[in-house]
Amino acid sequence: MRLLGIITLLAWRNLWRNYRRTIIMLAAISIGVWAMIFMTALMRGMVNDMVKDGIEALPGYVQIHHPNFRDDPSVSNLLPQTDAEISAQFSSAKIDAWASRVRVPAVISSEYESRGITLFGVDPLQEQAIDAIGSLVTEGRALQGVSDTGVVIGHKLAEKLDTELGKRIVVMSQDPDNEIADRGYRIVGLFEAGLAAYEETMVFAGKSTVQDMLGIGDRVSEVAVLGTDYRDVDPLLNEIKAITGGGVEVLPWQDLNAYLGSMLGVMDGFVLVWMIVVFLALSFGLVNTLVMAVFERVREIGLMLALGMRPSHILGQIIVESIMLLIIGLVLGNTLAYVSVVPLKGGIDISLVAEGMEMFGAASTLYPALEFRDAVTANVVVLFLGLLASLSPAWRASRYEPIEAITKV
Amino acid sequence: MTGMLRLLFSVICFAATISANADSSSRDAEQIVRDALDHWRGISSHSEITMTIHRPKWERSMSMRSWTQGAKRSLVRVTEPRKDRGNGTLMDGNKMWTFSPKVNRVIKVPSSMMSQGWMGSDFSNKDVSHSDEIVEEFDHSILSETEVDGHTVYEIQSVPHEDAAVVWGKEVLEIRDDNVMIEQRFYDQDGALVKSLRTLEIAQMGGRTIAVVQRMEKVAEPDEWTEIKVESVEFDVELSDNVFTLSNLRNPRD
Repeated sequence: MRLLGIITLLAWRNLWRNYRRTIIMLAAISIGVWAMIFMTALMRGMVNDMVKDGIEALPGYVQIHHPNFRDDPSVSNLLPQTDAEISAQFSSAKIDAWASRVRVPAVISSEYESRGITLFGVDPLQEQAIDAIGSLVTEGRALQGVSDTGVVIGHKLAEKLDTELGKRIVVMSQDPDNEIADRGYRIVGLFEAGLAAYEETMVFAGKSTVQDMLGIGDRVSEVAVLGTDYRDVDPLLNEIKAITGGGVEVLPWQDLNAYLGSMLGVMDGFVLVWMIVVFLALSFGLVNTLVMAVFERVREIGLMLALGMRPSHILGQIIVESIMLLIIGLVLGNTLAYVSVVPLKGGIDISLVAEGMEMFGAASTLYPALEFRDAVTANVVVLFLGLLASLSPAWRASRYEPIEAITKV
Repeated sequence: MTGMLRLLFSVICFAATISANADSSSRDAEQIVRDALDHWRGISSHSEITMTIHRPKWERSMSMRSWTQGAKRSLVRVTEPRKDRGNGTLMDGNKMWTFSPKVNRVIKVPSSMMSQGWMGSDFSNKDVSHSDEIVEEFDHSILSETEVDGHTVYEIQSVPHEDAAVVWGKEVLEIRDDNVMIEQRFYDQDGALVKSLRTLEIAQMGGRTIAVVQRMEKVAEPDEWTEIKVESVEFDVELSDNVFTLSNLRNPRD
């Protein structure tokens, strides 16, 4: 115990013997750690936004479709059950946050333009329960009931169509016999979404109105169910598989939007790689510092060995020295990262490059997400690899021949 | 909505002969439009027409043969120019198919293509296929009656029903008392004129007075128009049922 005290004391004093070098090294470590944590928080924030927006747009953590719906999302692939049967299944299972909807590709036309869209026939009450985009109306009113004859479209779509709130548009699609099904609707509301793509392609109308137009009775295309945590949907998935029985495809959002699903996995790997790369740059400095510290003290180490200190204690002394250096650096770096993330909690406006960001599905405000496990990963990586890097100079120091070391000029 | 089909019909069929006992002043607006349509409903025709598509930098003409039967069925086949020969369109109610010998395929025109131009003209596929919806899906009212060249011309405003699959705010029709369509104007929902179909020439043909030359023009592009000219027409011809079939669209037997 006394020995450990002496080793620690020696290490601590040695650390501040050349304080300039130590301070430079500390600066390098803390900036490295800061970069690891801060950049990770930014990237996490971006991915979280993408996933959140993606789920909001879908929405629903788990969705039920006809097995062929994802290959051919048309009116010919409706769910085998009627809406009433679905409703019965869900109410008997006591699941509240779900919505069934008709979802078909369609063409929307104004006097001047027409564009391809996805038409959603929705029940506004159900959609509100799962916070779908269509219920976030910023101008005009939201849909009222399943037989509302109005539509809610995105701001951007209204712009592209050269039309506006209160005007009529025509929606054309196909019925199950491939006949043209069309109808005029009045635009009763405009919604805003984070992403232009959603605003331009999603059109919401009353479920019954759309069912009438398509002549599909009480049938729907999909059921979306909201859970509590989008990272953990398996229990919900199994429950729904159990109540719906066969003949339908029940999928979690990761499979429905494979891009977003794999984003999360890729992100975890990416964070680790990023940290290791930063550390590699850092480790050169660290090893160099320790090698220099050992070189300077060859005679001193020789003397200690000659006086009877064991090589393992020399090894321990150098390692303790590097641990101290690393820990002080980590404390500084973590503080720096925390202090720089907190003021940005409200979001960073990146609208300057928003169009580019949209290409891969990110919104124009970035909310850094400082996650505890990322900070832990950063610290563990630095501490572990730092120790590994300091082993080599420490080992060399402990292997000196006392006589040679003392007489070394 | 007027379209190619309606246009063809109006060009071919709006005859000068008013039913002798019709007291025109007593007819209401819807009746005038309905009479104009009923006039050609149920009769058949066979005609040769030329369609001219004009653009600022080019202009091209296509000669076509057309068969119609009633309000629902029609077949149009291109005869000139040579490279387009055999291209055809078959319409039966709201259904529409096209055939091109080059790809040797009959394609059912999907809803996503209904807004595209028919054979590159200023008429959309939707214009062409929706034949008689103007009676059923609009509310009609007479705006004015004027005397032109010894004929009464009714100016009729047609406003689409709330759920009608019609993008226009309103249409204004000018129909002569002998059922010849003089002009059809399409307005947007702010009341601005978007496009118009005007009759440029009225003549005796096939034993009737018909609109021989009609032109579709868009207000936004004054240099772009499509003109349809009737070269010859026969009315009340015998047509077998297999004229309006997919196999006839693919393999002409005329």
